[in-house]
Amino acid sequence: MPLLLSNTMAQNAIEPMQVDAPPEDNDNNEEETYIVENPSLDLEVYANSFTGLAKLYRLSFIVDHCPSMRLEALKMAISYVMTTYNVNLYQILHQKLAELTSSMCVPDVAVTSTSQDIPVIDNMWMETRSKKAALKLEKLDNDLKNYKANSIKESIRRGHDDLGDHYLDCGDLSNALKCYSRARDYCTSGKHVVNMCLNVIKVSVYLQNWSHVLSYVSKAESTPDFNEAQTQTKELYQVTITKLKCAAGLAELATGKYKSAAKHFLQANLDHCDFPELLCPNNVAMYGGLCALATFDRHELQKNVIFSSSFKLFLELEPQLRDIIFKFYESKYASCLKSLDEIKDNLLLDIYIAPHINNLYTQIRNRALIQYFSPYLSADMHKMAVAFNRSVSALEDELMQLILDGQIQARIDSHNKILFAKDIDLRSRTFERSLAMGKRYQRRTRMLILRASVLKNKIHVKSPQRETTGQSGETAVAPGTSSVLLARN
Amino acid sequence: MASPLEQYVNTVRSQTTNGSFRELVEYLSKTNDILQKNSQHLDNVLETLDFQQHSLGVLYLLCAKFTYVTPAGQDNRFTQAQEFILNCNGEQIRLVPDVFADLCHLITKYLLEIKQPMRGINLMRKAIFKLRLFDSQLTSIHADLCQLCLLAKCFKPALEILDVDITGICQEITSSHNGSQFDAKYFLLYFYYGGMIYLALKNLDRALYFFEVAITTPAHAVSHVMLEAYKKYIIVSLLLHGKEQPIPKYASHVVNRFIKPLSQPYSTLASAFELNNTSELNNILTKHTDIFVRDHNLGLVKQVSSVLYKKNIQRLTKTFLTLSLSDVASRVGLQGPSDAEKYILHMIEEKQIYATINQKDGMVIFLDEPDKHCGPEVLKELEKELCLCMELDKQILTMDCDIQVNPQYVRKSTGTQDDEQPTKSTYAM
Repeated sequence: MPLLLSNTMAQNAIEPMQVDAPPEDNDNNEEETYIVENPSLDLEVYANSFTGLAKLYRLSFIVDHCPSMRLEALKMAISYVMTTYNVNLYQILHQKLAELTSSMCVPDVAVTSTSQDIPVIDNMWMETRSKKAALKLEKLDNDLKNYKANSIKESIRRGHDDLGDHYLDCGDLSNALKCYSRARDYCTSGKHVVNMCLNVIKVSVYLQNWSHVLSYVSKAESTPDFNEAQTQTKELYQVTITKLKCAAGLAELATGKYKSAAKHFLQANLDHCDFPELLCPNNVAMYGGLCALATFDRHELQKNVIFSSSFKLFLELEPQLRDIIFKFYESKYASCLKSLDEIKDNLLLDIYIAPHINNLYTQIRNRALIQYFSPYLSADMHKMAVAFNRSVSALEDELMQLILDGQIQARIDSHNKILFAKDIDLRSRTFERSLAMGKRYQRRTRMLILRASVLKNKIHVKSPQRETTGQSGETAVAPGTSSVLLARN
Repeated sequence: MASPLEQYVNTVRSQTTNGSFRELVEYLSKTNDILQKNSQHLDNVLETLDFQQHSLGVLYLLCAKFTYVTPAGQDNRFTQAQEFILNCNGEQIRLVPDVFADLCHLITKYLLEIKQPMRGINLMRKAIFKLRLFDSQLTSIHADLCQLCLLAKCFKPALEILDVDITGICQEITSSHNGSQFDAKYFLLYFYYGGMIYLALKNLDRALYFFEVAITTPAHAVSHVMLEAYKKYIIVSLLLHGKEQPIPKYASHVVNRFIKPLSQPYSTLASAFELNNTSELNNILTKHTDIFVRDHNLGLVKQVSSVLYKKNIQRLTKTFLTLSLSDVASRVGLQGPSDAEKYILHMIEEKQIYATINQKDGMVIFLDEPDKHCGPEVLKELEKELCLCMELDKQILTMDCDIQVNPQYVRKSTGTQDDEQPTKSTYAM
């Protein structure tokens, strides 16, 4: 057993380096490979599951956080950005690229392999592109003016939408949001309203304005025609509802409400999960699975995740996560936590879940500790430490925190290193509580009666303009204070 | 004897025999100038009046004497005042509660000047008994009594008053300024001094209650008494509950806006305490020592720091069954096992924790709390508490009843109908 322990410890020690992760990880997770030596193919897969700004943002996130794939990601981002009008981002990316290549010139080993295909900044392209963008903007603006002059509602709405699309293409998020929101006044049917909401949600996610996302999700869901529409075009309805659920889940995740995030993600439907501007199905599986693991109790986990026919399909996309959930459910915590650690690096490269990884992992770990102990009256902490890959003293600290938070009802025998379940005397606790409640009632009521008479007598502190009453109050205080101090000491 | 004073005596005598006290009060309130001018003859006038019969006249004379006379030789003011308060006619003085209270304030001030606060305690008690109409009525003399008790370090007499919960406030309508009622200053002082007395007697629960009353008093301006009360409120809530109690919502906005920023060191102290961080707490203590000394709160703050060690030990009892003394010391932040042993021993003796120390191997064994809630005593206590609650409930109901039958309330609550009737009649016309 000690051998195994040291083995896993050694692995943990390697992980921060990231680059030389064991090759076995390749087999069961396609996303895993993009931190390994030869990332080109898999980074492409990852990038291809997104479109638009989502792709660019995710790639730049990787650029910022993963030195080994920086170049590859930058190249991909630049080639993609050239299909849009986003000249600003193009410049920024090239700036980053310049920094990278200048720093890479020193160890020239890497340069030899990649130098031939490093893109060069193309000033011509930038110029023509900006011109084209301006032209298109002018045209769309003119169109919109014409529509407005003719006051055809439907055309005006489309005009606004087109303008919004164009701004989005240029990377001007605030103007895009403005245009999409303006379309709202010209919506004639529920379908249009929902469409407008989806547009606004998309831009708000890019802007990371999560409260906005949530309010528009609920707005879309409460649109009157929206629910009737499902009978006519079931397909479309399913797609929209999945989009809304994903967006809501993302917003809840970003604001740290993991439980409701999990619930939203679990309602997504794989067959209709087509939202490459925000999320790919793998993301849904990962986000939903981890949030559920961190916040659901055993029963909820079984009912809503493991036996859920729709979410099962998502989990198939992420076999490692599926294994983790199953191992957790089967109480094989050591291997479960180990696998979690293995996928941690990938998750740290994900723009939305990365800031929450540590929180989620601690919650999952605490849940595991609680569940581990729940059937026992007493548990040997040495065995427990082995099961959780921890030293006994570290485990003791962890348990102490949980006990103080009231999550585990137990006490630690530090001498023999045994954890004992505490039997709570409900009767005496009830007595204590009711007596305390009575005392609190008395106190409040007394205060109330006193306050009633204070108000009745119109007692209040006024500014001492007429007389010096306020000042004399101050001087009267001082002698009393000092005497009390003396009395106490 | 000068003629205005003669007239004074005559008026007092004749009005008293007629029983027309109201007119007398009106006359007396205008005599201030006369008395001031003839202040050297006041003793002669006093001799001609009877303390019991002409209480009103004597009261005004004594007030004038305390205000204007600065005795050269023998000072008989206190003995005269004492005699007066013990013998005066309660009914008469209750007509002018403000003047009577003023006299008491003057006496208190005088005693503070000559540094003999003990002499006034009994006298003030008597004065309160004379002035108040029922046991739970607050007068401004209460504050004087508490101040004297604090200075004399003799708390028993004040407790008798403090333990009665205030339900009513004496209407001390002061004729001098336009109808201002019971002065907030004395209200605040009473609860501030009262809180300090309870604090000195280690009745923290009650002390917190008193300070809370002080800081929730309606206010439009910052009162120094409230500021000091707030500082002590923070400390006491740390000592008692282990965390900073929130300020009740009905407290004046002044507290949040002005008083809180003024007591910044105390807030940082509280936040360090809540995080159970002993080293941080001690840092704050040394950093702000000047302020704590200036506020005369250093003793209390030191108590806070020792309570934090105890609180941390108590937390250990919740999580551990056995723990070595050195572990206790390191987890709590004490210097070494011997310090930890001292603290634990103290706490066991005070029944704050239940534990045994095994000196042979240096282990502490934390025991469960013995079952406290069985036996007839518990039932008795429960019944007592229930009675108290029911009593309070009854009190609230009677208050409610009073409001329901209050003519003003009735008029207001049915006001809309009253308004309609005249309009109807105008229409009819």
